[in-house]
Amino acid sequence: MALKYIEEYRDGVLARGLVKKIHSVSKKDLRLMEVCGTHTTAIFRHGIRSVLPQGITLLSGPGCPVCVTAQKDIDAFVEFARVKNVIVTTFGDLIKVPGSSSTLGKEKASGADVRIVYSVFDAINIARENKDKEVVFCGVGFETTIPTIAAGILMGIEGKVDNFSVYSANKLTPPALAALMETDGVEIDGFILPGHVSVITGTDAYRDTFEKYDIPSVISGFEPIDILQAILLLIQQNEAEKPALENAYPRAVSDAGNGKAKQIMNQVFEVCNASWRGIGEIPLSGMELKKEYQKFDAAIRFGMDMPDVPEPKGCACGEILMGLKSPYKCPLYKKKCTPMNPVGPCMVSSEGSCAAFYRYS
Amino acid sequence: MTEEKILLDHGSGGKASHSMFSDMILPLFENFELSKQDDGATLDVEGTTLAFSTDSYVVDPIFFPGGNIGDLAVNGTINDISMCGATPKYISVGLIIEEGLPIKDFKLILETMATAAKKAGVKIVTGDTKVVPKGKADKIFINTSGIGVISPNVNVSGSNAKPGDKIIVSGTIADHGITILSSREGLKFDSDIKTDSAPLNKMVQSIIQSNCDIHVLRDPTRGGLGTTLNEIASQSNVGIKIDEQSLPIRGPVQGICELLGFDPLYVANEGKLIAFVPQKDAQKTLEIIQRDEFGKDAVIIGEVTSEDSGKVFLKTTIGGLRIIDMLTGEQFPRIC
Repeated sequence: MALKYIEEYRDGVLARGLVKKIHSVSKKDLRLMEVCGTHTTAIFRHGIRSVLPQGITLLSGPGCPVCVTAQKDIDAFVEFARVKNVIVTTFGDLIKVPGSSSTLGKEKASGADVRIVYSVFDAINIARENKDKEVVFCGVGFETTIPTIAAGILMGIEGKVDNFSVYSANKLTPPALAALMETDGVEIDGFILPGHVSVITGTDAYRDTFEKYDIPSVISGFEPIDILQAILLLIQQNEAEKPALENAYPRAVSDAGNGKAKQIMNQVFEVCNASWRGIGEIPLSGMELKKEYQKFDAAIRFGMDMPDVPEPKGCACGEILMGLKSPYKCPLYKKKCTPMNPVGPCMVSSEGSCAAFYRYS
Repeated sequence: MTEEKILLDHGSGGKASHSMFSDMILPLFENFELSKQDDGATLDVEGTTLAFSTDSYVVDPIFFPGGNIGDLAVNGTINDISMCGATPKYISVGLIIEEGLPIKDFKLILETMATAAKKAGVKIVTGDTKVVPKGKADKIFINTSGIGVISPNVNVSGSNAKPGDKIIVSGTIADHGITILSSREGLKFDSDIKTDSAPLNKMVQSIIQSNCDIHVLRDPTRGGLGTTLNEIASQSNVGIKIDEQSLPIRGPVQGICELLGFDPLYVANEGKLIAFVPQKDAQKTLEIIQRDEFGKDAVIIGEVTSEDSGKVFLKTTIGGLRIIDMLTGEQFPRIC
C-alpha cells in the first residue's frame, strides 16, 4: 500500500516559507477556530501554534464527535451494554467516556460484550456471526461517518441481518457553526473548516452560514502545509477585510461534495433536532432514521430513552467547544480531569481539545 | 458506583501501567533491585553480576507476518536482558495452552522458539506447561524468563542519561504494532509490513565490546518510543529533545498510522533499541549498530538536555516544537 501526499505536505522548506509569509501579513490580533477535532490534533502534533505570530489565537471548535455527544446518549450506550445478550459495537474513542454512572470500558471489564470496531461494517459482520445476540452500533459521527452507517443499514437489509441496530447520536456540522455565531460572547474571526466532512458536503454546504454571518471561512486539509495555508488565507481575508468562503483542500473537496454519499445518507436518515454536550439543543442539527428504517433504530427496538442529566459540576467542555474558554481555564483541567480519569469527553477522545492540550503542551 | 477493576488500559505500557506498578506493585515488593525499574533486574551473586528478566506474551493473533508468539517471546526476553548490558545465557518457558489448540500450531510455535533461541545463542533450560479449558485462555499464552551475565565495568541503566548524550534508534519504528493491527480480523491491508521481532543481543555485545561509553540501552516495546523516552527522562532527571525529520518510519507503516489516527511514536517495536551515548562515542556506536543485521536503518534522533527535566520534546518537520508525553490509554490491545 502506498499512501501518497504525506511527505509532500510536511515539507519543512515549504512550511517555513508559509510561516514567513504569515508573519509578514499578520497585523491584527485574530481568533481563528478549527472546527474539526482532527485539525486540533494535527495543530498540536505539528507544533503549529509555536510557529504562529503571537496575535493569532487558535480555538478548538465543536468538531470532535465524541466530545459533543450528550451525556444521556453516553448513558444509553452504557445501558445497552447492561442488557442481556447484547453486543455493543463502538468506535474506540467512546470506551472511556464517562456516563453518569459508568463507562463502556468499565462495563466491559465487568463482563459486558463491548467490541471496538473500525466501521459499521464490522458491526454487521459481528451480527452475522452472532445470530442469537442483538448487536447495537453506537452511531456517533458527522457527515463523514453518517453515509457509512446508512450504507451499513442498507447492507443489513440486503443481507437480512435482523439482529443489528443503530443508536443514532449523529450530528451535522453547518448548523453547529450557525449556533456558535448566535451565541453571546463567542468571538471568532474565521473558521478553519473541516476537510473530511467537506469531502462529503462540498463547499456549498457552508454557503448559507457564510452569507448570513459574513465570516472568513477556509476549508483545510490535515497536513501542516494545508493548515498553514488555510491560516494564511484567513489572515489575508481579515487584513483585507474581505471575508470569503475558500476551498484550500481542492485535491479532495469539490463544490457539490460526494453526491452518492449524500444520497445514501438522505435515503436512510432525516434531519432532526439534536442535543450537543455543553451547548444544548441545536435545531435541525442531528440525523435520525427515517420511519421506513426505524426497525434498525436501537432506541426504538429497546425502548431506550435515558433522562437528561446535568453534566459534571465544574466541567467546562461546553464552553471549550464554543471557544469561550481554553482548557487551561477549566477548574478541573489536569486536577480532577486527566486522560487517566477523565471527567468530560474533551479529555477522553484522541481528538478532544483537553486531551490534545494535555498530551502536547 | 461500579467497583474499581483492572481495565485494558492497565496493560497498555503507558501511564495506567506505570501507576499500577508504582501504586499497587512496588509498595508491596519494595526492594532496591525492583525500584530501579529497568527492563530487567541487575543482581550481584557471589561476585558475578547477573541480569534477570521476565515477560509474558498474549499477542492476538498468535501468527502474524514475520513471526509468531513463540519467537516474539524468546526474542523479547533476550532483548530485555540485553538492555541491562548483559549477555543472555539461559531462558525458561512457561506455556499456558487453551484446550483445542491445533497440535500443528503448537509444534510450529515450539519450532520457532527453538530456532530463535539457537539464532541468538541462548539455551531454553527449564519450563512448564499447563492446559486450561476452552475459553479460559486465548489459544496460547507464553511466559519467558532469562538470565544473562554482565561484564565488569558495564553500567547501563535508564537512570544514566546525561546532558549532551546523543540518542540513537537502531531502525524503523512502529513496525510490530502496525503489523499486529493489520493482521487482525476486519483490517486487512494490502501491504508488505512485517514484525521487526529480532534478537538484539549480538548488536548489544558489539556495542559493549567496542569500549564506547554507553549510558542507556532500552527496547521501546509497549508504549513505543515516546513512552520509553519519557521513562528515561524521568529516571535520569534530564530533558530529551528529538527531531521528527530524523525518525525512521517505513512508508506503509506511516500510511496505516495516518489512516487510523495512530501516532507511530506510541506504537510498539519488538526488534529495536535506543542507545544513549556521549557525543564523543556517538558516531562510532552508530556505525557499529548499522553494521549489525538488525541495525541497518539506525540513526541519531536527538539528544539529552539539562533543562526541562523529565520532559521529552519533539522538533516537528515544520520547525515547531511539541511535548511528547507518555502514552495515555490503549492505542490497541494485546500486541505482545
